[in-house]
Amino acid sequence: MVRVKSPQDFWAGILFICFGVLALFLGHNYAFGTATRMGPGFLPTTLSWILVILGLIIVFRGLTFDGTAIPPGRLRPQIFVLAGIVLFGLLIERVGLAPTVFVSGLVAAFASQEVNWKEAFLLAAGAAILSVVLFIYLLGQSMTPWMWSP
Amino acid sequence: MDVFANLATGFGAAVTPANLLFCLIGCLLGTLVGVLPGIGPIATIAMLLPITFGLDPLSSLIMLAGIYYGAQYGGSTTAILVNLPGETSSVITCIDGYQMARRGRAGAALTIAALGSFFAGCVGTIVIAAFAPVLAGFAEKFRSPEYFSLMLFGLVAAVVLANGSVIKAVAMVILGLLFGLVGTDTQAGVTRFTFGVSELYDGIDFVPLAMGLFGFAEMMGNLEKKLEDRSSTQKIDSLWPTREEAKLAVPAVLRGTLIGSFLGILPGGGAVLSSFASYTLEKKISRSKAMFGKGAVEGVAGPESANNAGAQTSFIPLLTLGIPSTPVMAIMVGAMMIQGIAPGTALLTEKPTLFWGMIASMWVGNLMLVIINLPLIGLWVALLKVPYRLLFPCILILCCVGAYSISSSTFLVLLMAGISVLGYVFNKLGCECAPFLLGFVLGPLMEENLRRSMVLSFGSPTIFVERPISLVLLFMSLALILLIVLPSFRKTREDAFQE
Repeated sequence: MVRVKSPQDFWAGILFICFGVLALFLGHNYAFGTATRMGPGFLPTTLSWILVILGLIIVFRGLTFDGTAIPPGRLRPQIFVLAGIVLFGLLIERVGLAPTVFVSGLVAAFASQEVNWKEAFLLAAGAAILSVVLFIYLLGQSMTPWMWSP
Repeated sequence: MDVFANLATGFGAAVTPANLLFCLIGCLLGTLVGVLPGIGPIATIAMLLPITFGLDPLSSLIMLAGIYYGAQYGGSTTAILVNLPGETSSVITCIDGYQMARRGRAGAALTIAALGSFFAGCVGTIVIAAFAPVLAGFAEKFRSPEYFSLMLFGLVAAVVLANGSVIKAVAMVILGLLFGLVGTDTQAGVTRFTFGVSELYDGIDFVPLAMGLFGFAEMMGNLEKKLEDRSSTQKIDSLWPTREEAKLAVPAVLRGTLIGSFLGILPGGGAVLSSFASYTLEKKISRSKAMFGKGAVEGVAGPESANNAGAQTSFIPLLTLGIPSTPVMAIMVGAMMIQGIAPGTALLTEKPTLFWGMIASMWVGNLMLVIINLPLIGLWVALLKVPYRLLFPCILILCCVGAYSISSSTFLVLLMAGISVLGYVFNKLGCECAPFLLGFVLGPLMEENLRRSMVLSFGSPTIFVERPISLVLLFMSLALILLIVLPSFRKTREDAFQE
């Protein structure tokens, strides 16, 4: 039975192999060309193979040498931070800057465990007003402040 | 003197009231964001980059220079006051800077860092002014094979300087190169790895990539940890170093500047290397070695000056060869490209005003930093006391607006979300993002030069060893690789990153 001795190395290796294989698969019909006239597939294919080989070596090391464990993670920060970014992307062209900043700021605030409703609400509202003043009026970027503006 | 005549042209172009204002705003914003815990210079510059889009090329570069120095200084401030290094090069500052702060000498440490950096910045500027034209003349001999070998050397250096496992750093460089190839292959007119998404035809945009890898990945990591109590921030009594402290600091600053100016020119993380080298030197020649790690003045003065001198002279490979040698320089290339400026040999001959104006602006940026930041230290300290739960939503919004405003594209915002997950995973798996970023920037350049070399040599790879400059560069890369393999160096390297 094989035992993973260094989870960090092992999984990093797996990740590199996945990326390499994915790139090989996506790039399998880019013309390789010849050494003199390198096609669009020359470098991607070469690099992908190197990546796969390096990945294999790293996996091997992860199985043979003792190493660091993967530091434990918590899902809460990731989910709320990601939700904040994604909401920003989805809303910005639909409802304008102020409501977008308010919503994504409010959601993102919950990534922290120390959050409280009142504070997050005030923070999001303040950020919404400030960002309109800063980005639209002072820096003149072309975004609508809110959906009802002409 | 030619150098001074050229510098005069530069100052004439750079020192206008409007430009000074932009530089001031840049410095202030750079420090403001750079001082926030968990945000290093790379994320700071990437975040503030969109602000400069609307300006004319020279003003925008001047503002960027301001942001860059501000961000660096902000990083040193957090390193000294709360023991949080924003980037690898201020790891060293943490060691003795934070100890000085704990002894109640935070003000002195900050002043020494600021004045040392200013002095180093002045020297660095003169070095650039004196050597850039010489190197640019030399660079005219460079053809594709030389460029390729030089970039290879830069990547090897980035791997050697990455902390942690070497082989993982190599894999990260390769992965970065692959990411850099996403988009249209201009020579064959084929799109690669785009999944049919038209926003990817021009490649992955640099800004969301950098913010995802360095901004958000860090943010998620920070939110997981129980952040230490911020009330531990040290109080600042007096800003001025005592006579004894000054006596120790001055020679250290001089030595640091010398080391930094020289090492910064080498591609591949000059600033990091210089602060490590300076710290080692100071420790070696100091008469009170026991003080190191317990708040030695030289341990702050030397590395901080070396760091800044290195940061300054690392502009040389960028301005003369068009090759970014550090991730920060990579962002500068991105910014210059957006302004329609192609950094490289042609810049000096075709746009001398811009070239010298930029060099002059570096000096102005350094000066501005000392003038505005010493009186404002109190403000930055106050900012450090703002709890993280209030800061990070603001950082998130800044990054989102920044990514969106590059090309008014929601795709970039969503891409940034995806990349931050990737960055988080990399961090968890102990994979360094800096080599990845350098590979990403150099990917397309390397492919182009490799192709051209191969056309030149009719497909024979021996062209890289037949040309003398290229051969020397390859030898240097090989020497670096041998260095890591050698056990004695390996040990020093591990020690250096242990501290």
